[in-house]
Amino acid sequence: MRILIVDDETLARAYLVEQLAGVAGAEVVGQAANGFEAVKLVDELSPDLVLLDIQMPKLSGFEVLELLGERAPAVIFVTAYDEFALRAFEVHAVDYLLKPVEPPRLKSALERADARLRNGAALPASAQSTQALIAATRPPGARLDRVLIREESKVLVLPVEKLDYIEAQDDYLWFNADGKRHRKQQTMSDLETQLDPTRFVRIHRSYLLNIDRLSRLELYSKDSWLAILTSGAHLPVSRAGHARLKELIS
Amino acid sequence: MHPLFSQPARLALYFGVWLLFGALLAGVLAISHQTPIAWALQFALPQTTLLGVLSLSTWYLVRALPASETPMSRLLGTWFGAAVVLLAIWLSIALLWGRWLAQGLALPALQDTAQRLAPLLVFVGAIGLLLAVLGHYMLAAFDRSRRAETRSLELQVHAREAELKSLRSQLDPHFLFNSLNSVAALIGSDAIAARRMCLLLAAFCRKSISLGRETSIRFSQELELTETFLGIEAVRFGERLNPRFDIAEETRNLSVPPLVLQPLVENAIHHGIAHLLSGGEVFIGARQREHLLELIVENPFDPEAPKSRGAGVGINNVRARIDTLYGHRASIEVDSRNERFRVTLLMPATLMPTAAPAVPVT
Repeated sequence: MRILIVDDETLARAYLVEQLAGVAGAEVVGQAANGFEAVKLVDELSPDLVLLDIQMPKLSGFEVLELLGERAPAVIFVTAYDEFALRAFEVHAVDYLLKPVEPPRLKSALERADARLRNGAALPASAQSTQALIAATRPPGARLDRVLIREESKVLVLPVEKLDYIEAQDDYLWFNADGKRHRKQQTMSDLETQLDPTRFVRIHRSYLLNIDRLSRLELYSKDSWLAILTSGAHLPVSRAGHARLKELIS
Repeated sequence: MHPLFSQPARLALYFGVWLLFGALLAGVLAISHQTPIAWALQFALPQTTLLGVLSLSTWYLVRALPASETPMSRLLGTWFGAAVVLLAIWLSIALLWGRWLAQGLALPALQDTAQRLAPLLVFVGAIGLLLAVLGHYMLAAFDRSRRAETRSLELQVHAREAELKSLRSQLDPHFLFNSLNSVAALIGSDAIAARRMCLLLAAFCRKSISLGRETSIRFSQELELTETFLGIEAVRFGERLNPRFDIAEETRNLSVPPLVLQPLVENAIHHGIAHLLSGGEVFIGARQREHLLELIVENPFDPEAPKSRGAGVGINNVRARIDTLYGHRASIEVDSRNERFRVTLLMPATLMPTAAPAVPVT
């Protein structure tokens, strides 16, 4: 089994390398010290399994998993202590290890992953289930504060306050910010539940608007309106969307 | 509301005293003015009771005019005015009551006696009122001191709670497990370094427990604790963590509450350095500015990093404690600009008494 180790601490990586040396069939093919490197190395090395630390600079382990999307290999999270994450792992039946990792546990986790790979029942987890897992690891009440988008080999970090609006199209969402648009595979309802509802409002089946960008509303025809944004863009507003907007503004 | 109303026993005692005062007045009337004792009692007892009721109203003036904070002229003027009003009300009712009594008992001769009693009644009423006002002032003073006592007890409880909380945050599970992970890793590759790490961990736990128990410690002790903490984190973060101290010599002997600097440094590492790919410098500065001790902890941070869990807890903890201890004489300011996070803590600079036995820290 070809394994990639991802952890920002040199010592923590060294410990896992040492432990894996004693496991038959386990081969460490690479090490990454941060999330960006991890995303890149998964592409380059296509490992069977990633041992993924959660708390890292720039990108957390969860964000790495989200960015890998359908290309994600089997993943075992490794963490020192994270009460919210542990609860989420239990609920979503995700494998995880606690630092310092006990060798027997490491061995049995590897065996489970190996069995799943052989059955072909392994990950990649679907984009949906990854999103659900990530939402569950967030402390109660906490909202999404940035959106991660992968474009070719680049990872784009978009703070939510920079978003103008989001448009749904088939299986994708188009994130509009700073006059550019970026595509990501995600469903509108999934995104909507993660964003702050006092800031982002679903004005239409296919449009989610950052309320700060709204300039004015124009009646378009009976029961439908147009939202004119500060950028000058026009977005359709449905009847239900109009009701939600009014409720939020008043 | 008047405090006596909530205590029936005291209210009864209060009116008991007034009735006694009435009996005394009746005796004086019977002896000096040869009035029949039955009339004197029927006259005096209701009237002193009435004076008692009227005197209760002085409580509100007592509260509005604290003796220590009101200018003497205003105090005397107000009370003189109040006394004239109260006595005038009381005297008119007393005289009417005296007349009515004399008529009822068919003692017409006494009708004039009642008029002649006026000067005596004014004198007696004034004395009664004076005693009532003094009594109320005593009550108010007692009330205030009891309130102050409650307040200081509350403050103590808050201080203790904050201390406990900060102590708990020292042995943050995340910190502990990560450190143990480093030890586990080092044992395989560098046994000497692993041993050093164990010793540092032991020293840190021992120091934070023993110093946390004190109410004030020498600043040099707090610095030692901070250095031990940095020693542990340096093993984890390696070259990413780069501490720089700038400590003015004269600050080392100042007295500080325990765990006032180390949590700020912990904050700088966990919410600053840990989020940066290549880490950065944690600056720790201390100097004396006139009568104040100024502590500065500064670190770079990533403004795009997601808000990490527990961000600000360490700073709020320190803030709560110095607030309780120094009130407005201390302050803690947070400034985050240009990707640099800076905490400035100001508190009164007091020298640690040199004779005091040193706190064992090892």
